[in-house]
Amino acid sequence: MELPELAARWMHALTSTAYIPLSRAEIEQALLESLRELPESPESVANRLVSLHATGPDSLSATIELLSPTFELPVLARLSSAYAQAMRMDAFDQQEQIKVAIVRAKQRVERTLKVSQARFQEVFASSALGIAITDFDGRCVEANDTLAEIVGLESGADLTGRQLIDFFHPEDRTALASSYRQVRAGHVDRFRDQRKLIREDDEPVWVHLAASLLRDADGEPTHHVTMVEDISELHLLQRNLDHQLLHDSLTGLSNRQHFATQVERRLDSQAVTLYHLGLDAFSVVNNGLGHDTGDKLLKIVANRLGRLAAEKNAVVARIGGDEFAMMTISDNVTSTVEEIQDALAEPTFVDDHGIALSASIGVVDRPPAFATAAELMRCANAALRQAKARGKRQWALHDPHDDARRRGKYALAASMPGAWEHGEIEIVYAPVHDLETREVLGAVARLHWDDLSHNDTMALADSTGLSLPIGRWLLREACAQAARWVEEFGDRAPTLHVALGALQSRDEDLVADVKRALDETGLPPERLRVALDISSVLAGDDNAAVLHDSGIVTALDGFHGGHDELAVLAEVPVRAVITRAPAPDPDSPLRQAMRDLIATVHSFGVRFGVDEVHTLTDAEHWRSIGADAVIGLLPALTAAEVTELLTTAPSPPPEAS
Amino acid sequence: MSEQVSWVPEGLDTGMPSAARLYDYLLGGGHNFAADRMLGEKFLRAQPNARTIARLNRAFLRRAVLFMMDNGIRQFLDLGSGIPTVGNVHEIAQKADPEARVVYVDFEEVAVAHSQLILEGDPRAEIVQEDMTKPDAVLKAARETGLLDFTQPVGVLTVGVFHFVPPEADPSAILAAYRDAVPRGSYLAFSQFTQDLQPEEMAGIVEVMKKSQNPMFPRTMSEVEGLFGGFELVEPGIVPLPLWRPEGTNTDDPDKAGIYAAVGRKV
Repeated sequence: MELPELAARWMHALTSTAYIPLSRAEIEQALLESLRELPESPESVANRLVSLHATGPDSLSATIELLSPTFELPVLARLSSAYAQAMRMDAFDQQEQIKVAIVRAKQRVERTLKVSQARFQEVFASSALGIAITDFDGRCVEANDTLAEIVGLESGADLTGRQLIDFFHPEDRTALASSYRQVRAGHVDRFRDQRKLIREDDEPVWVHLAASLLRDADGEPTHHVTMVEDISELHLLQRNLDHQLLHDSLTGLSNRQHFATQVERRLDSQAVTLYHLGLDAFSVVNNGLGHDTGDKLLKIVANRLGRLAAEKNAVVARIGGDEFAMMTISDNVTSTVEEIQDALAEPTFVDDHGIALSASIGVVDRPPAFATAAELMRCANAALRQAKARGKRQWALHDPHDDARRRGKYALAASMPGAWEHGEIEIVYAPVHDLETREVLGAVARLHWDDLSHNDTMALADSTGLSLPIGRWLLREACAQAARWVEEFGDRAPTLHVALGALQSRDEDLVADVKRALDETGLPPERLRVALDISSVLAGDDNAAVLHDSGIVTALDGFHGGHDELAVLAEVPVRAVITRAPAPDPDSPLRQAMRDLIATVHSFGVRFGVDEVHTLTDAEHWRSIGADAVIGLLPALTAAEVTELLTTAPSPPPEAS
Repeated sequence: MSEQVSWVPEGLDTGMPSAARLYDYLLGGGHNFAADRMLGEKFLRAQPNARTIARLNRAFLRRAVLFMMDNGIRQFLDLGSGIPTVGNVHEIAQKADPEARVVYVDFEEVAVAHSQLILEGDPRAEIVQEDMTKPDAVLKAARETGLLDFTQPVGVLTVGVFHFVPPEADPSAILAAYRDAVPRGSYLAFSQFTQDLQPEEMAGIVEVMKKSQNPMFPRTMSEVEGLFGGFELVEPGIVPLPLWRPEGTNTDDPDKAGIYAAVGRKV
């Protein structure tokens, strides 16, 4: 048989006795080379067979069977013995290798074990819990320092060999021993208990303890492990602190934070109703009868609300000085409000003082699910403010629309300082027209911000505390501008009218501010008219008089024609009053009354001006009953526009037409 | 604190036979101990063809790896790789392309230690010690080796191991997890014992293995089919070992092969 054919057949024979990880062609090639080599060196062929992994139990016999017709017996005998030797060496190598692997695996396991033990030791040593491992006779095999500290010993080692159970109160020992036996017998996995330890100095210590079984690698129980937590002193203090963080110390009710989390928790799953209570006239009690009485009263209220909350399965909290909150799972708002008022209305005696108790209540009923607790509490607060505004013992339901309006206003107020700083608030000038001559008497400096009118802007400024700085700024800027106009256009320059807000009108620095503005800008005093809010003179403020004495012409803004206002005109030297009122209809009886009023004003030597008159018809109505001047016939202009008008217009400046 | 001290892993006891070393023994390897060889003899009594089956299974592994290489796969995840024995995946793959990368996965201590010995000095092959029935842990460990790029197709190999996964371990969920971790164009090579071929012998094997650390769970053709969800079987589908893309003419009896083999492509 030709060698290649023999190699092919050998390949088939061998691959059915052993797995040789090569392609057939590769195996055949290797075997063909082996056949050529065989007569000379059967030993190297044997080695090659073994290294090819032709090492199945039947690989050798299949080889001999196939090769015996072609090769001499001595050659095959040498092949067989060399093959056996190579197999033996290969097996040794593999055994050696697997043993190394075993050793390595063991080392790794031992290393893991050491790490585990180190971790255990770390937990054992650093735990805030006392830990003792006891044998089944109850003797401590090991205990940590924390446990030693709890029982009043120096270190964990001092416990070794001692009976753990001896540290417990004698009355507790029998029950404890029984519990340990239950665990040992496997009736229960562990037991937890609260017992009294007796320290070395005979002081009792309350502890929580938990005991369970330790088992060996085979799962056989070997020891008990007991964890001991000291629940006296520090621990109690800690718990107390936790309580204080969530509760109001005076009344013991939940505090605002705690209440908010409770609302948050309920809000997702249930429709709730929130009641925000403000005690009526609590400050009267506090100021009149003293804070001790006030505190006692708050405790009484807390008690009553607590009782009511318990009945209604509601949550109650003290969320501010004299403010309480209650959350119910949605119920009948009216009847709950009644119940609250009834609870408060029970006769109340504090330190022999009979006190009538009532509350104003803001209610948010069934808020949308997406609301947050903070939003809800804000809404309830807003409703409470409304209720308070209506008087005592009132309640108000939160109106989302109203709230949106207020919020819009507040948001605007909040953005005002930034707007001012960024120059978004402008000064514009509205012409004042003389009704008789139709001449422009002057220009009123006004604030302009977004679409807000001067008065709205001033009111907003008042609510943010900005009105004083803005008012001063307005005064100074307008004076500076007017001075420039005087310098440039001489007599054609408009007289400057400045209307002050209520706060600024009463400001004790007003006179100084006005003088400084005039000094610094060089505006002649006769070119300035200052309109004060009439409330300032009504309140007895003397700014108007002092300004007058300083040679500055003043007017009173916000005139309604009241008796007190007229009385003021007799005393305070003012040049004009300014009113805002609808033009009296020619057919209305009011017309005569208004005419008489204007005549009366005139009789004090005071002129009568009307603001916010936007049409010629209205202006004519006012003129016909004697009014002297109007503001609003032409839109207000910016300083630049006024300058341009003065530049282009031949004298005199434009009249209303 | 654990009530049971369980940090000594089982399976380090050389007196306990292991499936990995049994396989080595059946393949004619020497990486085994007396206990493994005793189990091997019992196995051979139940299934006299066991050595051939082991050889055929190993040969299927080689053909499957080379098939995947032909289809562009250059990275392999070999699940339940066992004792490195004749013709390991990295040897086959790196012979075809030295850049090929392999991550072996096995849980058994000795197999892992042994694999580390074999793989020392090969920067493109590594073994991670994880339980292949816990895909999340396996995939995390495999990623941490830095050898596999899961944006590129991966050759996932589970050759002769799924018969150790009991039905309650939800084998199809396990394979689905591996499937979801690899991109389209990845392959899965799969082989496992079946009772469809030689049911009596198979029952004997199950009985023998029942008392070992690695009891066996043969699966029928349709059960195996059910495991290939999301994969498209490549020709010739699920077949007895020697019929899966044989090299040259097959001379082994498919009816005595004991094991089904298949390769699927993730679509």
